[in-house]
Amino acid sequence: MPNAIVQKENLLLRMQEDIRRALEKPENERRWGMVIDTRKCVGCHACTISCVAENKLPPGVVYRPVLDQEIGTYPNVTRRFMPRPCLQCENPPCVPVCPVNATYTRPDGIVAIDYEQCIGCRYCITACPYSARTFDAGYTYTEDTPEQEVYELLPNYEYGVEHPRQPGTEESPIGNARKCHFCLHRLEQGQLPMCVTTCIGVANYFGDLNDPDSLVAEMAAQPNAIVLKEELGTKPKVFYLV
Amino acid sequence: MTTLSTSIPESRQQNWLQGAAWVLALIAAVIGVYGLYLRFTLGHAAANYGSYVPWGLWIAAYIALIGASAGAFAFAAVVFTLRKTSFYRLARLAMLLAFGAFAAGMMNVWLDLGHPFRFWKLLLQTSWTSIMGWMSWFYVVYGLILVIGLFITRNGVIPKFMERFSWISFLFAIAFAGAEGALFGVVGARALWESGLTPILFLVEAGLFGSGLVAVGALIFGCLNEKSARTMGTVMLIFLGLLLLLEWAEYTTALYASVPSKANAILTILTGPYWWVFWFIHLGLGVVLPALMLLFGRGNAWLTGLAGGLIAAMGLASKLNLVLPALAQEELDGLAHAFTGPGLTFTYFPSLMEWLVWIGSLGIGGLIVLVGFWIFNIATPTRSGVESL
Repeated sequence: MPNAIVQKENLLLRMQEDIRRALEKPENERRWGMVIDTRKCVGCHACTISCVAENKLPPGVVYRPVLDQEIGTYPNVTRRFMPRPCLQCENPPCVPVCPVNATYTRPDGIVAIDYEQCIGCRYCITACPYSARTFDAGYTYTEDTPEQEVYELLPNYEYGVEHPRQPGTEESPIGNARKCHFCLHRLEQGQLPMCVTTCIGVANYFGDLNDPDSLVAEMAAQPNAIVLKEELGTKPKVFYLV
Repeated sequence: MTTLSTSIPESRQQNWLQGAAWVLALIAAVIGVYGLYLRFTLGHAAANYGSYVPWGLWIAAYIALIGASAGAFAFAAVVFTLRKTSFYRLARLAMLLAFGAFAAGMMNVWLDLGHPFRFWKLLLQTSWTSIMGWMSWFYVVYGLILVIGLFITRNGVIPKFMERFSWISFLFAIAFAGAEGALFGVVGARALWESGLTPILFLVEAGLFGSGLVAVGALIFGCLNEKSARTMGTVMLIFLGLLLLLEWAEYTTALYASVPSKANAILTILTGPYWWVFWFIHLGLGVVLPALMLLFGRGNAWLTGLAGGLIAAMGLASKLNLVLPALAQEELDGLAHAFTGPGLTFTYFPSLMEWLVWIGSLGIGGLIVLVGFWIFNIATPTRSGVESL
């Protein structure tokens, strides 16, 4: 087996083991985090698409776009890819502005949304400095086609709860603000977030930042690890290796 | 000393104006019914706001109407506090106009909610860390104050306690309008909003749009004589001056500093695709033209009323220029093209449904005022309750 594949499998297995170890701890002692190695990201968008598939995201809702940034001016131009999940800030600006406590920080650090509590005011969307929240206006992919496809109506299992999709109504999650939650429903079953699993270059590291033996803690401590808009004091738990 | 207000007998002109107001309000309300039909059958999918520009016409209209309402209410509170008996009838009309604008504003924001029928959570499950949570309760208190105020003065007598304690209502109006501005001012993610000047700007705009609303309402309902026109004109000119001062201070300092997050938003206002909203609608029709009308038509009821109408109507342009350019900025470079789909865009123009609902809200607000004018006997000469003691 080629070395690169062995290494990829080892990293995934190691992260899987890190998660298993973290899940044995009380929830409030975990601190889920992610490190994205921008040097390894090739901009394939596999993470974006797998996230859409896993969470059955409708048109207009995206949790993890990959930003394609051009640096310099022609002819001295380079490109940089920057995947942007929710940064799960330690001081999330989206939480205090919610007028009904629908968005909150869980004991394990994940910023979650209670879909049945959200009134859809979208104040949290305006408050996020990273545009990490999107609004589910109720679109479907096949609404202008002769027949609505069945897959559009399949429920998603975000937050471990079944959410059937009912186009034409304003039943949650339609009408809600939505965001990345590190695939909490997978995480609680000991699985890595979908974007981490599907990354072709293993550019994502995920695990418990409170566990010094975890791969993610090791990577987050690298001198070249940065966070976005550090000056805002939001303390993201998603780091970028540059 | 007489405590009777200056009673202007309703002329044929006023009757004509009221008739036109009825026709316009009814047409707008009927248009709004179709807008409501679209809103409840197609939902937010028929709107053009989305994920990157999550607030649009309805939120701008809501804050413009709430601001005008707070300003009109503050005007009434000042009149009662200072016991300016000759303005008592005008002050009662101001309370009614405040209520109509308040109702129209609430309709806009209610329909903007992703889940309008969960609005009760705002009151029963309030988060006190959120200014929007506080505002929800402010609205309840405010609405009650207005309805009670209109009800107890319906016989044309202003009770003594109302004159004595109206200063509290005035302070509430200040807090209310300022908190509306703070709702935006505390959003650190939006450089255009996050400023200590934002709540102050909202206060000044409330005073301006509110006095404009009262002036045009007074013209329509025949409460505007030379004295009141002169007073309203002076008030509007002062607020126009303050508005220009604040906008000048905010724009020039930000442009000089050139911090992209804020400077780009201001450049969007001044030179972006909707530059004409600032230069023609806001500055031309909402500031310069009414200022000229007020300066050259001192004490002229028609010119004062029309200037007030322009100021109140163009208030929407001011608020659109606050809400949209702040949201139309990429927070991270490359976001606009990272993933495409409906609502994942930084451009915005209201959809047909949004326009129709907004027109409908104005129609309903107008009908509330027109019906309320008779229910609360605003035409009745108004006097101080002290006189009857």
